[in-house]
Amino acid sequence: MVRWSESPYTWPHWPAPSNRRGVVLWTSKQRTPPPGNARTADVWIIVPAFNEAQVINTVVRELRSTFPHVVCIDDGSGDGTADIALAAGAHVVTHPVNLGQGAAIQTGVEYARSRPGAGVFATFDADGQHRVSDVVAMIERLRGGDVDIVIGTRFAPSSAGRTPLLKRVILRAAAWLSPASRRLGLTDSHNGLRVFNRTVADNLTLTMSGMSHAGEFVALIDENGWRVTEQPVEIRYTDYSMSKGQPLLNGVNIVFDGFLRGRMRR
Amino acid sequence: MNWIQVLLISAVLALLVYLLRSRTNAKAKAWVKVGYLLFVITAVYAVLRPDDTTVVANWLGVDRGADLLTYALVIAFVFTTLSTYLRFKELELRYARLARAVALRNARTPEH
Repeated sequence: MVRWSESPYTWPHWPAPSNRRGVVLWTSKQRTPPPGNARTADVWIIVPAFNEAQVINTVVRELRSTFPHVVCIDDGSGDGTADIALAAGAHVVTHPVNLGQGAAIQTGVEYARSRPGAGVFATFDADGQHRVSDVVAMIERLRGGDVDIVIGTRFAPSSAGRTPLLKRVILRAAAWLSPASRRLGLTDSHNGLRVFNRTVADNLTLTMSGMSHAGEFVALIDENGWRVTEQPVEIRYTDYSMSKGQPLLNGVNIVFDGFLRGRMRR
Repeated sequence: MNWIQVLLISAVLALLVYLLRSRTNAKAKAWVKVGYLLFVITAVYAVLRPDDTTVVANWLGVDRGADLLTYALVIAFVFTTLSTYLRFKELELRYARLARAVALRNARTPEH
């Protein structure tokens, strides 16, 4: 257990909840202190959401039981996702129009990195396919200090076999088709679970608004020389997340956009 | 002069007038206009003397002038499609940045 004073991420504006001097940290006005402690105080969870009213409440509350700071980017939903997320305790940034998941992630990172004390950032899909315990483990891994970004993979030996066969084949092919992905030894570049530090957040410039951002993320890791590692995670393939997931044909778009990426001014 | 020749030439000239009237002062735009002027001259010449395109086609190893024009058209179409695609992507990016700025300005924080 790293104590607050030893934490590499300092947050001068936020009192350390584990206080050794017996100072009153929470006044009576603050009825419910945010959950978490020094280990989660600098963590921001970024949840891009588009029409997820059915599940967003559960997802945000689950996250909030561990992490005090959750920002939900409502990507122009028409079903009240934003209000539900706000009521569940998330910060909410609403795109006036639908822009796509890549744009939502970029917005979330820009919001989170502007918050005082933010040091660790995590992207987390809003459809409930990720487990909070995986994020906690990935943050522990990041705090080891030898990597800048940790990406979840569903293809580790321990977690293989649960992914539907066709999806597995396509996702492996997508990872293999990308030169950057191969170079970095990544097996599941389209996993929505990523944990990264300030270096990555400050320099992140995703320009692919749609679903091609995952490949772009990997390309940025490669170009900027960020130290990356993978961590086995479990994906919960519920009927809901399967119905919300991108159709496999979208892989064609992703590959095509990847080829054209270098030709655009940023 | 055939009616089709009159129609084609007047269409090309109308496009030229339209292009030269559009007010842009960028250097790149100027080159586009020069290129377009050359295109118009070639087009009018080809309409008036269609057999000459066959001569050029034969120089290049193509049988008929009409085939040569088709090939040129295909290349031009591909080029236009790609540049339009890239232009749209760029606009999309600007549009996303604008929407993002609006979104960040109107961010809402939870009460507890």
